[in-house]
Amino acid sequence: MTDYFEVHERDGAGRVGELRLSDSVRTPALVDDVLADAGSLWPGEREVPDGDESVLTVLPHRALPGGTPEEVREAFAVEYPDVEYPSAAVVAPDTAADASAAGTDAYILSNAQELTGHAGAFVTAVVRTREAIPADSALYLPGVATPANVATLAYAGVDLVDTDHAVVKGTQGRYLAVDGEYFLEDLTDLPCACPACQQPVGDFGREDCETHNVNALRAALATVRERIRSGRLRDYIEGQARHEGWLTAVFRRLDQQYGYLEQRTPVLRRAEVTATSDDTLRRVEIQRFAERVTGRYHCRFDNPLVLVPCSARKPYSESQSHGQFHDAIQFRAHVVSMTSPIGVVPQELELTYPAQHYDAAVTGHWSATETAFVADVLEAYLRRNDYPRVVAHVPAEYREICERVEGRLDRDFEYTVVDHPTTGESLSNLASTLSTELKYGKRERQHNTLRAVADYQFGDGAGDGIFEELRVESHYPKLRAHDADGEQLAALVPEYGVLSLTLAGARRWLDSDAPTRRVEIDGFVPHGSVLAPGVVDADDSIRVGDEVVVEGPHAFAVGRAEMSGPEMAESTRGVATRVRHVEER
Amino acid sequence: MSEPSPEVYEQGRGMDAHNQAMREIRARKDRTYDPREPTRVWLDEDNTPDGVYDSLTIILNTGGCRWARAGGCTMCGYVAESVEGGTVAHEDLMTQVETCLEHERDNAEDPAGQVKIYTSGSFLDEREIPAQTRRAIAETFADRDRIVVESLPDFVDRGKIADFTDRGLATDIAVGLETATDRVRRDCVNKYFEFAEFERAAADAREAGAGLKAYLLLKPPFLSESEAMADMTRSIRRCAGVAGCHTVSMNPCNVQRHTMVEDLFHADGYRPPWLWSVADVLESTADADVIVVSDPVGHGSDRGPHNCGECDDRVQRAIKDFDLRQEPAVFEQVSCDCERTWETVVERERSYSMPLAR
Repeated sequence: MTDYFEVHERDGAGRVGELRLSDSVRTPALVDDVLADAGSLWPGEREVPDGDESVLTVLPHRALPGGTPEEVREAFAVEYPDVEYPSAAVVAPDTAADASAAGTDAYILSNAQELTGHAGAFVTAVVRTREAIPADSALYLPGVATPANVATLAYAGVDLVDTDHAVVKGTQGRYLAVDGEYFLEDLTDLPCACPACQQPVGDFGREDCETHNVNALRAALATVRERIRSGRLRDYIEGQARHEGWLTAVFRRLDQQYGYLEQRTPVLRRAEVTATSDDTLRRVEIQRFAERVTGRYHCRFDNPLVLVPCSARKPYSESQSHGQFHDAIQFRAHVVSMTSPIGVVPQELELTYPAQHYDAAVTGHWSATETAFVADVLEAYLRRNDYPRVVAHVPAEYREICERVEGRLDRDFEYTVVDHPTTGESLSNLASTLSTELKYGKRERQHNTLRAVADYQFGDGAGDGIFEELRVESHYPKLRAHDADGEQLAALVPEYGVLSLTLAGARRWLDSDAPTRRVEIDGFVPHGSVLAPGVVDADDSIRVGDEVVVEGPHAFAVGRAEMSGPEMAESTRGVATRVRHVEER
Repeated sequence: MSEPSPEVYEQGRGMDAHNQAMREIRARKDRTYDPREPTRVWLDEDNTPDGVYDSLTIILNTGGCRWARAGGCTMCGYVAESVEGGTVAHEDLMTQVETCLEHERDNAEDPAGQVKIYTSGSFLDEREIPAQTRRAIAETFADRDRIVVESLPDFVDRGKIADFTDRGLATDIAVGLETATDRVRRDCVNKYFEFAEFERAAADAREAGAGLKAYLLLKPPFLSESEAMADMTRSIRRCAGVAGCHTVSMNPCNVQRHTMVEDLFHADGYRPPWLWSVADVLESTADADVIVVSDPVGHGSDRGPHNCGECDDRVQRAIKDFDLRQEPAVFEQVSCDCERTWETVVERERSYSMPLAR
């Protein structure tokens, strides 16, 4: 049982947590002042201490530093006692699973020195350890934190660090900052406003340097916590980690550990995705959208396809350019926007996270990576969706992508742009090329939108399964789905472009062929939220932000997941699901 | 009959693991050695109970340490320098001794008063050095004042020592005790004997009219800088309390080829001790009733005991000075900015966060 650590906010593998000591500590945090080491078992026998709630007690341990042979790691691994106070176990990545049997609140990786500076080893070790220990336990990487690396450590899933390395660097005259390390003697300015730096550089000695390094590390940790709270740690990492090669390699290698990050990345949030580098394309949010659009969504319109460029304003339909496209198209075609970094966005999904939540650096030129990505997504999209005609109403840099896809699919697109998509000539080309096509009605548009969102959110075919018979009320974007008898099933949430279900909607979901995401709870009736200890089991596929059905002997409910399924199942603290509607049974 | 306790089981398990790992590590070495060549020979100066002596120091190339063949000590790479495949014949060993005498004749005015013979094993183990050879070597050096021979305590017995004392040699047995803490010797060093065995050997040596010189290892693997210093300080004081043990030689651990320590070192899991730690231990145990000396091998290099690179030679000189004079004030003469780094490491480093500084 982890009784003294709780995760409050999640942003990928990074979390803001709480070390619940008598004075609680917000993590990611320094643990210097709250650590009580019961000592190493290498030099001597140790008593298991009495412990208390004011400190995190490091249980008697045998450290297995980098290079310890496997046989020795196995033979000397410690069996930790189950204690009643906040405790930490010292582990190596491959002894963590066994050590977690005692349910300590934190785990200390004793080969941290081996890992820093080596992205491959670091990612392998942190992922392996994180997956071996419970989600609601803290991971402590001792003796390695710097202002420059701590954001990346937290991004990978580290919760606790200390000032040891920063202080040692200070004693060596190394001035640490989020952008790396300076030789004190080389500095003409002190690039910091902390109290230790409020003096002439000539008077600034190594002791001051130690103080500054600790201050800088504290500030860096506060930045990390704020970034996680606002759901924007990744955007920060893509910029800040670039100051050191190995840190950049860490976040790129983590992108290759897609399963690890995907499980921990919310399916929706308010925060903006800042697309300022090719690395953004590898983000879970982007990959997941592309995967769902090309794997779950299918177009229900019979009309031709018009490919248009994205707009800076989101949702696209509110932009001036898309208004002009709309006037020319007049519901005679299905509109799909091409964009970096999202790929392609069908008109029904223009609200759906992250389609209206990103901001890109617009230069009019696309990198080879962007071009390749959008081409791949468009190709996959067109292989899945069969259109009578494909009209590409796109400027030159998009046309290149279209031509690439035309070649691969061996079909011809119709191009309507002269010079620029919003010139009179271009728009009239667009209008005239579609003039003979039939218009689709409002009802078709609304139905297709709700069903498309359901497909995207719940799985291929879910839109037809859940909304077998459908009546739509209210106006876009606040559409409400009702059944033939008028009972409400779901509502479209304009901020995220997802559906929130009613109990009736949840039942339809369960009855449909679409995979459901179920949280099984104990015999109680949840109001407001389901806490982790009340969860008996949860589907592995559940992600933060997912719609979930909650079922127990006494309750049937629907709500939104606050944890991933695996985290719900193994956690002993924290809110697992926010409940929207519940009924006793 | 008592039931085997888990602790005993764990002990055996740990030692099996160490031995298995060390055998694999040692198997990587591919050099072989000529059985007629000594491993090393040099001339130096030593502080002894009878004053400072010139020494002829010999490392004989024997069949090597039997314990090392089973796996052996985690820091010891000397087995890699022994002869492949086993025993060295009497004639070959005597050829090695002759080579050493030649070296002495070429490099010294007079024969050294003291001869020290190491084998990277046990000189008193008759499977390494047959009785015939031992006696012949004793005869060879019968004209000297003092002789020191290296041995594990198991092989120390009065009869063998008498080969030297009967020839009028003041005799010391050098025992690689490494630490007075049985647990550290067993789990960190992977050496099988216990402190009680050392005490027995000391008693036997004393009855045979010989003395004991304890070799202690500063900073075996798996200990932090401060744990290593505490263990060394405690060990020196315990050795001082053993009758017959008149000298302690503190060896700061260095990173030898084909050892577990080397694997740890390469994977950022081990750093040899700071020279400041050596100085600090010498200074703080200067009052102990035993001669304490230290000859840091490879000082100033990454693989040897080192400080920051600026002050290593100065601190090494102070240590050598202390060896001869046993005067703690010698350390007041040296200082460096890196002392603060060392103090920080001593204060903050845990075995789970080491090495905190390189």
